Amino acid sequence: MDPEFHIGDSAELYAAGALDERERAEIDAHVAECRDCLRRLGEAEETILTLERVSVTEPPDRTASVVPLQRRSVASWWLAVATAAAFIVGFVIPHGAPRSNVATLAMIGSHFSHAQFAGTGPAAKVIYARDRSWYYVIVAGSGRYDVYGIRNGRALDLGATQPQGATSELFKRIGKPFDRLELRNRGAALETAAIR
Amino acid sequence: MRTAALRVLRDADAARECVQDVFLHLWRSGSAYSAQRGSLEAFLVVCARNRALTRVRGESRARETARRTDAPEDYTMEEDPIERERVQRALTRLTEGQADVVRLAYYRGMTLAEVAADLGIPIGTVKGRLSAALRALRRELTVEGADGP
Repeated sequence: MDPEFHIGDSAELYAAGALDERERAEIDAHVAECRDCLRRLGEAEETILTLERVSVTEPPDRTASVVPLQRRSVASWWLAVATAAAFIVGFVIPHGAPRSNVATLAMIGSHFSHAQFAGTGPAAKVIYARDRSWYYVIVAGSGRYDVYGIRNGRALDLGATQPQGATSELFKRIGKPFDRLELRNRGAALETAAIR
Repeated sequence: MRTAALRVLRDADAARECVQDVFLHLWRSGSAYSAQRGSLEAFLVVCARNRALTRVRGESRARETARRTDAPEDYTMEEDPIERERVQRALTRLTEGQADVVRLAYYRGMTLAEVAADLGIPIGTVKGRLSAALRALRRELTVEGADGP
């Protein structure tokens, strides 16, 4: 081993997957004998583990003239959801009493998935329990939309979303495994989200 | 490990094979892990991710692009939404140059040469920005974690 050689910035490049196999082999050989570089590589790997533990959207392309609406909306919704969760579990002390939020409590209490609505309507998302015991529909904007659950071609009216500030929302506790959810306006289907 | 590989490969069977390859490789070559390195989980996740990236870089770029474009938008959400927001916020604090290389090299799995060509900057600059970005993320996340509830 060259005593003057240390991995330096290559620790982060290794952990990020930016090195080829030959370059990684050189790093592996070095850290096998250099405790300081081994520790630095371990720290870089910890950072990657933190990134891998959550499904964040990638950093925005600031050179692009248009930021994709869906991705931007997902981030802002999750900020709202995280904030609501923070109120419930007491991480943030609001002015006045904490508000009750059945959707947030349902999310804390069970495993859930989410799906994006696609169609001609506003940006919208459904968060739903893995066991399909509840569905939480969030639509961008303050419009009211009828939500239908579709199963084997049959539609069931779940109710209408209600404006909640910058979003319009519906939380429905119903133990039915729908194939998809539809957002409708005056009977016309606007967009659909597949439930998987 | 499987999730890390799946995010790169976008294919459940390929991700499973990738994880098996990693364990087989570590078994045959003798593990490069020791306690001084840090978290075993972090080591294995980086191994899986590197193996997956090697695999997709070996495929034709067209096939890879098609698969990434077709990737589903929804992920299974067993993760902590507060942790997710913490990481998202740390990413937004990167400089524009750092965010560009993280987006292309980390999230899209491009090689350093591909990132350099895409951004029209020297490969040495790409290396420097990517390395600085990860160190900045580590500082942000460590400080936030220490100050958090």
